[in-house]
Amino acid sequence: MWQKRLIAVSTGALVGLAGYVTSISNASSYLSDDPKACINCHIMAPQYATWQHSSHARAATCNDCHVPHDSTLRKYAYKAKDGSRHAFMFTFRMEPQVITATQDSKEVIQQNCIRCHSTVVSEVAFGVHRDDRACADCHREVPHGRIHSLSSTPNAAVPPLEPAFPKQQGDRP
Amino acid sequence: MNETAPRSRPWIGWLLFGAAGVGVFLLGMLASSVNDRRAESVPARLQFMQPIADYEADNAKWGQSFPREYNSWESTKHLDENTKHGGSGDRDYLAENPNLVVMWAGYPFANDFKQARGHYHAVEDVTKTGRLNEKTPGTCWTCKSPDVPRLMAAKGVAEFYAAKFHDFDKEVVNPIGCADCHDNKTMALRISRPALKEAFQRMGKDIAKASHQEMRSLVCAQCHVEYYFKGKKEKYLTFPWDNGLNVENMEAYYEKSGHVDWTHAVSGAKMIKMQHPDYEVYSHGIHAYRGVSCADCHMPYKSEGGIKFTDHQIRSPLYSVQNSCQVCHRWGEDEIKNRVQAIQDKNKELLTRAEKAITAAHLEIGDAMKRGATDAQLEGVRKSISKAQMDWDYVAANNGMGFHAPQECARILGKAIDGAQETRIQVAMIRAQLGAPEPLTLPDVGTKEKAQAFIKPFVAAQKAAEKAKEEAEKARAATKPAKVVQR
Repeated sequence: MWQKRLIAVSTGALVGLAGYVTSISNASSYLSDDPKACINCHIMAPQYATWQHSSHARAATCNDCHVPHDSTLRKYAYKAKDGSRHAFMFTFRMEPQVITATQDSKEVIQQNCIRCHSTVVSEVAFGVHRDDRACADCHREVPHGRIHSLSSTPNAAVPPLEPAFPKQQGDRP
Repeated sequence: MNETAPRSRPWIGWLLFGAAGVGVFLLGMLASSVNDRRAESVPARLQFMQPIADYEADNAKWGQSFPREYNSWESTKHLDENTKHGGSGDRDYLAENPNLVVMWAGYPFANDFKQARGHYHAVEDVTKTGRLNEKTPGTCWTCKSPDVPRLMAAKGVAEFYAAKFHDFDKEVVNPIGCADCHDNKTMALRISRPALKEAFQRMGKDIAKASHQEMRSLVCAQCHVEYYFKGKKEKYLTFPWDNGLNVENMEAYYEKSGHVDWTHAVSGAKMIKMQHPDYEVYSHGIHAYRGVSCADCHMPYKSEGGIKFTDHQIRSPLYSVQNSCQVCHRWGEDEIKNRVQAIQDKNKELLTRAEKAITAAHLEIGDAMKRGATDAQLEGVRKSISKAQMDWDYVAANNGMGFHAPQECARILGKAIDGAQETRIQVAMIRAQLGAPEPLTLPDVGTKEKAQAFIKPFVAAQKAAEKAKEEAEKARAATKPAKVVQR
């Protein structure tokens, strides 16, 4: 009997700790479309800061460009795939100094450019550039600017992480 | 039977317990990793652990306050970073390219010319070079150590240059480091050596007005430039920049000043050795035009644990393509490397063509001398070969194998090859007049040893002639003391 109790207690510890990790890593935010979720990992701060100061910040969030929107299932499947890769790279400190889009990601971005800008694109995109160029190949500074590096915006004020322990009423930030 | 089954296999319980334990442990590790990385999102503030004294030359003392910069600087001791055409490893350029021995015959470079290793080895490298002798002036220490500004302040700049190299053996111990480029109170970039300031003054520019981005190149330009020692006794470190930074400007400067580094032992031409005009060549390139500084590529910004700092492991950007190139250029790492190497390979090809032609020209002039050509006959060809070699050296001595300004380097090497071949045509005519219409069979100088053995008698003859001349002058001075006093 004592063995079963021991197993019950240790399983409880496992579940509790899993809950703790879920909480401090803001895991639930990854289900949302809030751009702040993308700077849970501070290394994306330059991407956040450059987006925030771009015209796209008025109309589009990170997810509008960076995850597929043709079906809800595909959207979350893509989030899960990309997210686990990011979590793995970040945890084991494998992030490169310059973050670039994967081929997969480039295709998603291109689809999303067309998704919103279809009116403009229908005028121009079906000419010579249609198959062998992506929008971003020419619109290189949209929206993240021309300089790409983890250190490109060292002093940009991006929203800080919420404290892991819930804030008390009346606490000053 | 059923009742006893669980009792007979108690290990299943233990297994589950162990698995839960391992699970909790791993989750705990993940939790602390998440917490670590959360902590990194709070911007770190750099601060002095303790004040740094004026003229503090010990790099480790600065490192106490700036460990990331110090640790990366210390990595310049690594010797395993050879690139195809350069890098920081041990490399004997005379063995790789024996033509150089002939081209520098009569000058210490023909004895020894190795790859300068990282900043960490600067003091060791200058002490060990085979180009040192008892006449070497204090000037040669100028760029090797942050001990130098202190000595210059204590003894006077001119006195420091005019002293002997070995006078400072015990005082110069720290290799190129923090104080060479940084202010000890504010960490701002500063010019610590007078030669660059003086060169700016003569060009009518005020270096104090340079922007921070310009300073990120100018601190390098304190040393990575063409220079010479002005005055036989003064040995005053001087940059030949009065007319500008390109090779024609420098040739005009040297022609006007009459400065000569040495007389070529084989051809008798009056030669100038270009040092390493890195800043000058860079300033002709596209990166300089676009405002990219030396540090942007050779000391790229880096983020570690959420802290941005400048990588002080100054080296070939081929070892940091991501931080150095991909920040602006959106191609893959291999693509960028191949592109750089393609430029360098082409520059190397042009260099080799120039070296072959210049070496042959020296040997042919030497042969004409052996056949009795007079100095008057040879004046033109000596002048033109000297100029061709100066052109070649402007490109050859600069680091980067042409990458810093590919078109400018190709233009200059085109001039060098043209000048050397033009010289060879003229020498062929002189030799023909002296009864040798056939082309000279060039001696075998295919290895460093063969080349050094070949130039040895020429150098010995040159030294003997100089000594004889000196003694004759001494004797003349001794026999006519009254006249000398009257003058």
